[in-house]
Amino acid sequence: MEIDKIIHEPARLRIMMILAGLEEADFTFLVTTLDLTRGNLNRHMEKLESAGYLKVKRSFKGKVRNTSYQLTQKGSDALARYWEDIDAVRRLGKS
Amino acid sequence: MRSKQNNKSQNQGMEKLKEIPKWTRRYTQNRTLTILALMVMLGLFSMCIAALVGFLLALAFAGFRKGNIILGCVGIAVLAAVLAAIVKFCIFMYAKFGGKNKGLLDQIIDHRIYSREGTASMPIPEATKKKKWLEITVTIVWGTLFLGTMYLGMVNYIPVKYVQPISALYCVPYMVLGWYFWRSPRTGPIFLLNPTLYAIHAILILAGVPIFFKSSFGAVLNMSLPMLGYGYLTFIIGHLYSRYALKKLKGLTHLEGDTANGD
Repeated sequence: MEIDKIIHEPARLRIMMILAGLEEADFTFLVTTLDLTRGNLNRHMEKLESAGYLKVKRSFKGKVRNTSYQLTQKGSDALARYWEDIDAVRRLGKS
Repeated sequence: MRSKQNNKSQNQGMEKLKEIPKWTRRYTQNRTLTILALMVMLGLFSMCIAALVGFLLALAFAGFRKGNIILGCVGIAVLAAVLAAIVKFCIFMYAKFGGKNKGLLDQIIDHRIYSREGTASMPIPEATKKKKWLEITVTIVWGTLFLGTMYLGMVNYIPVKYVQPISALYCVPYMVLGWYFWRSPRTGPIFLLNPTLYAIHAILILAGVPIFFKSSFGAVLNMSLPMLGYGYLTFIIGHLYSRYALKKLKGLTHLEGDTANGD
């Protein structure tokens, strides 16, 4: 059993968990909720996007550029698998 | 011993992380200030139209009744111009925010109110043609019953005291089903507070509590005030709950300095 290292990073795990409860969320929402710097969040989002876990939607809200993120099916499956693995590791630790 | 305690607290921390989607949903579903703002705007717009049309009609009638034909004609002409302006405004609003742009106005207001917090959205309920037509039909039936009950109350066919309890018979199911079929999961179960309060209001009246108006406008006030008042109250409570949910969410998602910036 191998834990998904992309998801296992604390900030990325939280990003994935936030998006798991929603249809989509924009960059501002994630920055304020996670209290990360914009650059740091950007780096995490790029990693998740390149792994195929996120879908990025770029649009304009009036004159302001807006970037929204959505969890893909692959991301959703990976997150479910991650929790299964973590729970299995914790069960092993208990016994 | 210490490592056992560490493991236990780590496990608890991981378990808490599983609550993130729940609090994210609760926060998003209760960003109700947008609906409240829309309701206030619609209420003010309706009141302005009612006041303007009522005033002009009264002016025209008074003119004709007193034999002042010029005043009557001016009243009718201005009323026609006002009605034409209202129709033009409605067409403009539909062109800008209706049809393909449905939901754009909500988005703009939402962005204004919550711009500092960013945007998060729940899935929109699937809109099939059948569902849409059912919604329109049910709303027309509800609107007819609502206005009908109000009218029957105004002409004293239904005692003013019983106007609200009778309206609760169809308003409560309409609001509950409306939430279940067309609003959930976009709006959370807090929306059900509105029909619940409306039903409690009706039960209290039937139990003899004097929470109704007896004046000539009693029928209108007894129905519209609880409907609007409980609606506003529900959305204010929803907004306050969203603040609590956001606080909980931030408590779960904030990382300590080094962990936050690590990779």
